[in-house]
This record gives sequence, structure tokens and C-alpha cells, in this order.
Amino acid sequence: METLLLSLAVVLAAGILPLLANRLFTPIKACYVVLTLLGCGWGIYSLWPLMQLSVPATYTVAWLHPFELRFSLDALSSFFLIPILCVCPLAVLYVFHYMDHKEERQRIGVHLFLFNVLVAAMAMVVLAGNMISFVLAWEMMSISSFFLVLHEYEEKATRKAGYIYLLFTQLGALCIFSGMGVGFAFTQVLDFSALAKLPETAKLWMFCLMLFGFGSKAGIFPIHIWLPYAHPAAPSNTSAVMSGVMIKMGIYGIARFYGLLEISSPLAGQIVLVFGMISGVLGVVYALGKQDIKKLLAYSSVENIGIILIGFGVGMIGAAEGNLPMAIFGFTGGLLHVLNHSIFKSLLFLGAGAVAKQAGTRKIDLLGGLMKRMPLTGKSFLTGSVAISGLPPFNGFVSEFLIYVGAFYGLQLGGVQYVFAMLAILAMALIGGLAAACFTRIVGIVFLGEPRTERTAATQESGWTMTLPLMLLACCCLVIGLWPEPFVQAAFRAYGVMQANLQLDPAQLLEITGKMALGARIFFVLFLAALVSRKLLYRDKVVDSGPTWGCGFTQGTVRIQYTGTSYALSMVEFFRPVVRLSAHYTGISKIFPANPSYETHVDDVAEQALNSGLVTPVQFVLSKLRWIQHGHIQLYIGYIIIAILIALLCI
Amino acid sequence: MINFLEVILVLILLTVLLSLGSTRLVALVRIMALQGVLVSLTPLLLKGHGLASLGAVAFYVAMLAIKGVLIPAMLIRAVKSVSIQREIEPFVGYHASILMGLIFLLSAVFMTNSLHLSLPEGRALILICAVTTMATGLFLMLARKKAITQVIGYLMLENGIYLIGNALSQHHSLYIVEFGVLLDLLVAVMVMGIILTNINHAFDDVDTTLLGQLKD
Repeated sequence: METLLLSLAVVLAAGILPLLANRLFTPIKACYVVLTLLGCGWGIYSLWPLMQLSVPATYTVAWLHPFELRFSLDALSSFFLIPILCVCPLAVLYVFHYMDHKEERQRIGVHLFLFNVLVAAMAMVVLAGNMISFVLAWEMMSISSFFLVLHEYEEKATRKAGYIYLLFTQLGALCIFSGMGVGFAFTQVLDFSALAKLPETAKLWMFCLMLFGFGSKAGIFPIHIWLPYAHPAAPSNTSAVMSGVMIKMGIYGIARFYGLLEISSPLAGQIVLVFGMISGVLGVVYALGKQDIKKLLAYSSVENIGIILIGFGVGMIGAAEGNLPMAIFGFTGGLLHVLNHSIFKSLLFLGAGAVAKQAGTRKIDLLGGLMKRMPLTGKSFLTGSVAISGLPPFNGFVSEFLIYVGAFYGLQLGGVQYVFAMLAILAMALIGGLAAACFTRIVGIVFLGEPRTERTAATQESGWTMTLPLMLLACCCLVIGLWPEPFVQAAFRAYGVMQANLQLDPAQLLEITGKMALGARIFFVLFLAALVSRKLLYRDKVVDSGPTWGCGFTQGTVRIQYTGTSYALSMVEFFRPVVRLSAHYTGISKIFPANPSYETHVDDVAEQALNSGLVTPVQFVLSKLRWIQHGHIQLYIGYIIIAILIALLCI
Repeated sequence: MINFLEVILVLILLTVLLSLGSTRLVALVRIMALQGVLVSLTPLLLKGHGLASLGAVAFYVAMLAIKGVLIPAMLIRAVKSVSIQREIEPFVGYHASILMGLIFLLSAVFMTNSLHLSLPEGRALILICAVTTMATGLFLMLARKKAITQVIGYLMLENGIYLIGNALSQHHSLYIVEFGVLLDLLVAVMVMGIILTNINHAFDDVDTTLLGQLKD
């Protein structure tokens, strides 16, 4: 345990380096990358023996006398530590070529420092063993990520995104802390272990507060609004880690407190499942409608959080109803999806960052034909897209399939639970289909076809430190898809922590996983065989290639290509009641129209509701109170005196 | 036999009234220096206090130096650098201010008696003096326009707080708190000094009513 914490100290020390000595830009950046990689590697190395222990390892800092800091590591913590310690160093490696503007070296130094603070804080959130250390680590994580989002603070949009993020994250923290307050009110200790003794209604209240609080971090549907703002505004390495790893801390919180509270009512599972379904379906629908590649990926994160919550919801209903296979499959699938999503989402964000940096724009309708210009980025992005759509032989398929199996076990239950299980299956199917559509859209428009602008046509492949993490992550996707057994087992062990009082048997789980893995391997071998035979058969033939979408004509322009909007429009229109689609079309009146234009916007219904329902009335009331702020110091002091007098007289 | 404590308290009250009636800023700063010295001498004359240890000696010397020399010197420099001599057009006139000071004194007596605190002998007088000083400090901040007078009001408020601490504390183990307050004050005066030059730079005056223009 001590070595693990020491490795975090190494990560922090690596972060201080570029903060202090950013004058030597490139060498210090290289040192920073190497040291961070070493720190994270050491962390994984020290994690290995701890994972073999059957009792949780603990470490206590007692010098804050009444507020003892305690860190403990069990299977659930170590499962969430894997993405933190594996994905973050790759994002750090990516930074080396991604942030190469020497004139911004001070800002980059601060950014790198905060980045490592974020990594260490996330590890501490996962390790926290009592309320005080959890709260401390949680706030460190929120604040450092807020400053990371504000990297390009001169731009108004970035500042807006940063404040929206701060608002939501602090609102969430408020709910988490008040939830802990509910727990403390009953137990009178700051320790986690006493929470199981709460009365049943208090448990449910605490769980709902926690769900709301952690949900605002994770991006559950009505409170996901910060994601599509913060992710495009932040640099890509940050958005990769925030979307891939940090929002999983919300999921960790939900899983951890669900395990600690030992809720027996199925209501908690139903709530989680409903929110999961809403987030999943609406997340992917909004993703289909978005133009900005990083905004699209942010909504796709909402979708994947939805899938994870569907898994958890299915598992919670199964555990409450005593249907153990349902619980095992649901939770294991959900937890495995946490790991999988952290891999492919950070892959996609890093890829999107490479595209945005090299091509100079994030609008997908201005890109195109990048597969030929950025082959490595393009192929790994394609891998990530296939994986996130939940297709074999990649990792997304494994976790989504496990959740499906769990939901199908739920069909054995009668009554209301049957309906919920059925809805979960339907929602998963809908999400899978729409996600495939969404990612064929992004890959098709961005990487295939012909470049739509001259700037895009001049794009080149990015540096090796940017492509290497992408390829490594793509390999991870494939490895988990082909050999899922150890990962499924790790997820199962993590689930075992959440349900300590049940006897769980993984035999059935491993059997189904094994069959699935076999299928994936056969598929992959067949795919390779087809690839090799194609190479062999075409060996001596002359292959002629023309422009994409040329269709035999030579005069076609790039503008006749499908656009992202037209590809997705019919699907988005289907969801009209929940998706506000606004189109501006000037129309064609003459035979030779001068400048017709067509524009569509997809507006987030949750954001609009929040704006019209809460922000506007509050602003109206507050604007009536503006006279209090008149700017006269003397009267401000008068306010203080009045407040003191009232306090003295009344109290 | 002369009771030195009462003499000092009377002197403090006199400086309080004098500060309410003085128009010249340099004179006001000098009065504050005198008040600072008097206030830092008070604990020496209390029963149960005294020069018990080396730490206490160092504390009193530092206190005297900061309140009697350092802060007034900084304030005088600030007054010189912004080249203003007197406070004109206060919100409340000078005679009315002195009258207010007397009202504060009376209400402080009334308040202290109605509190029924069981204080050691002589401490009740300190409490009266302290409350008057605090109230006058707040009043100075309210009734004057120049930023320097605001700082002086703040200093006077702190003197009052220090006196209250003296009246209520039975031991002299509270140096840490008092020293913390002192450091706070020092930083506050420095910051105010910087702000003062900036206000002067921006508006060609140190009138705080002009700060209302900064509101958005």
C-alpha cells in the first residue's frame, strides 16, 4: 500500500517539474513524460501483489487528529485503478507532440502539473477509506479538472464551459456531502463500514442523494449538460482522461455506496435502470445530431454511462429479487464496460484531438478523406468506433453481451421486474443500433470520402507520441475482445466486494464468457484469413483507384458527398418529441439560385428546460435585487454593522 | 496613588474622541500611533499579566513596534504619496461625530453593565473602552470618504478587538491569536496602501465614493 501511495507521489513530483522549470521546454517535457510513465508503471507493479490479498490493504494518516485520513484498497478499488494507471500515462505520452507550442510554455507547465494532480486525486478517490479522505480527494479532482478545462481561458466559450462544469461538479459535490451527512447523522462516525446499519428509508434517501451527486459527475441524462460544453473546450488529452476516466469516478461512487449501504429494496435498481435507459438512448440520439466531433463524443459518453447504469440497474434488481445470475451478469457487465469505455473513449478523444490539431477544425462536415492522410490515426479511430458500437471481436461487445445476458435472466422474474428487464433489453438494442449509426457517420464523414476543404486536404499524420498511444489503446480493445476471461474475472471480484454477504459462483459467468471469446477468436481468425487471401489473390493484378464517390464520372465535386447532417437526419427526426431540431433553409426561388443555405441545429431538451425553468426566473428575481450592490463601501460597512447588531440582539 | 491603568484608558478614550474630530490626515495618523502605543501598553498594567517570559517580552516589543511605528510610518508614506492633507466633505460632520463618540461611550457603559459579566476588578473599564473604540472604528469607516480614513477606522476596530481580548482573557496564553490578528492587520494595511495608490492613479483622488463607478 505504501509503495502504491509512493508511486502517486512520483506522479505528483513529475507534475511539479514542468511547473517550475518550463524554460527548457522540450527536455523538461520529455522528463515529465518519462517520470509520469515510470510513476504509473510502478503503481501498476505495486498494485499486483495487493490484488492477490484477500483482505483489503489499508494505510492511515492520523496527524489530523479528529479527521483521520484512511486509504484502503480492495478488489473494487483496484479494478477502478486499472483505467487510471493505464489510460492516464498514455494521455501523458500523447501530450509530448500535442502541446508543442513553445511560446505557451508557462501555460503548458501549469496544465501538465494540474493534469498529474488530477491523476493522483482520482487514484485517491478510489483508495479513500473514510468520508474525510473521500471528500478531500473528490474536491481535489473537481478543482484540478476545472482548471484543466480552462486551458484556453481567453476564449469566451471556454470560460463559459468551465463555469458550467464548475457549477455542475459543485452541485454534485453538495449532494454527495449532504448524502454523507445523512449517513453521519445516524452513525456518528466518519467511517464507511458503519453505513450498512442505517434504517432502510435513510439508506434510500442517502442513495438517491449520492446518485444525483455522482450522476452529475458521471453525466446521467438530465444533469449531463456540462459534458458537451467542457469536453470540446478542454485540450484533447484532458477530455480523453475526463471522459474516459474521471466520469467513471461517478460510477465508482455509485457502485461503492451501493455496496456499503446494502440496499435490499428493488426501488434503487429501478431508479438506476430508468436513468440508465434515458441517458443511453438520448445520449446517442444527440450524438447523432451534433456537428462538432468532440461534442459528439461527449454525448456518446452520456450514452455509455447509460449502458453502464443499465448493467448496474439490472444487477441491483437481480440482487434485490434474489436472482443471482441476473445480479452477477448485470454488475460484471457494467463494471467491465467501465474499463472498456475508458479505453475506447480515450482512444476516440485522443484520435479526435489529433484530427483537430492536424486539420485545424472540429466540424465533421469540413473534414473528409483523412484515412489516406492519417492512416495510423484513422485505423485506430476505426477500431475504437467498432468497439464502442459493441461489435465483435472487440471489447465493447463483451461487456454489452454480459448485460444482455443479465437482462434476459431478468425475464424469469414476474410482474413489474419483467417489464423492467424487457425495457432494458429494448433500450440496449436501440442504443446498439443507434451507436453503430452514429459511429459509421463519424468515421464515414471524417475519414472516408474526399477532403471537403483545401485545409483538410493538406493534413498530415501527427507525431509518433500521438499515434503510439492510439495504437496501444486499439490493441487493448482487441485483446480484451479476444481474451476477456481475466478481465471478466477482475470485474467479478470487484462485484464480490459490493455484495460481501452473498455467496457468488462465477462458473456460469466464465462459461458464457469462454464461449463468447471462442466465437470472437474464430471471427477474428476468419477475418485475418480473408485479409491474407485477398492480398494473395490480388498479388499480380493491377488495381486502379479513382476518387471516392467518383462513380465513374471524373467531373464530380467533393460537395456531392453525403454530409453528416443528411446521414443522420432521418434517424434524429424520428426522435422529434425529445430532440429539438431546428432547421434554417433559405429556399430556392430562381432557376440559378444565388446563395441558398441550409442549416440544422439539434438542441438539448434538458438544457432548454433548465434554461427556461430555472435560470431565467432566477435571473429575473436577482436582477430585481441588483440595487443591493451599489458600490459604496460605506454602505457595505453599514450592512455589516446591521448584520452584527441583528445577530447580537437575536442570538 | 495613581492608577496607571485608568490613566491609560482615559488617554485611549481621548485619542478616540480626538480622532473623530480631527480633519488633518497626518494628525489623524499620529493620533493612531499614540493610540497603538497606549493599547499595547495596557496588558502590562493588568493584574495577572506581566513580563512573565522571554516570549511575552518579545511579543510586547513587536506589538509596540508594529502598532506604534511600522503601521503609522506606512500610513504617513501613503498620505505623502497621494498628497492629500485633509478630509473634506465627510458624510457626518466633525462635531456630530464627536457627539456620536460620546453616545457610543454612554451606550458602551450601559451595554457592559447589562451584560453582567463576572470580570476581575478593573476589567469592566477596559471592556467599556474597548467597545467604544470598536464602535468608533466602524463609525469612522462609515462616515468618512477617503480611503486612508477607512484604513484608520479599521485599525481602530482592531485596537478595540485587542482590548476586548485583554479584558476577557485570564491568562496570557493567547499571544498566538493576538499575534495572528496583528499580522492580519499588517497585511491589510499593506494591501490598502497598494490599493490606495492605485485608486489615486485611476481617479486622481482617494475618494471611495468614486469606486462605485467600478460596478458593472
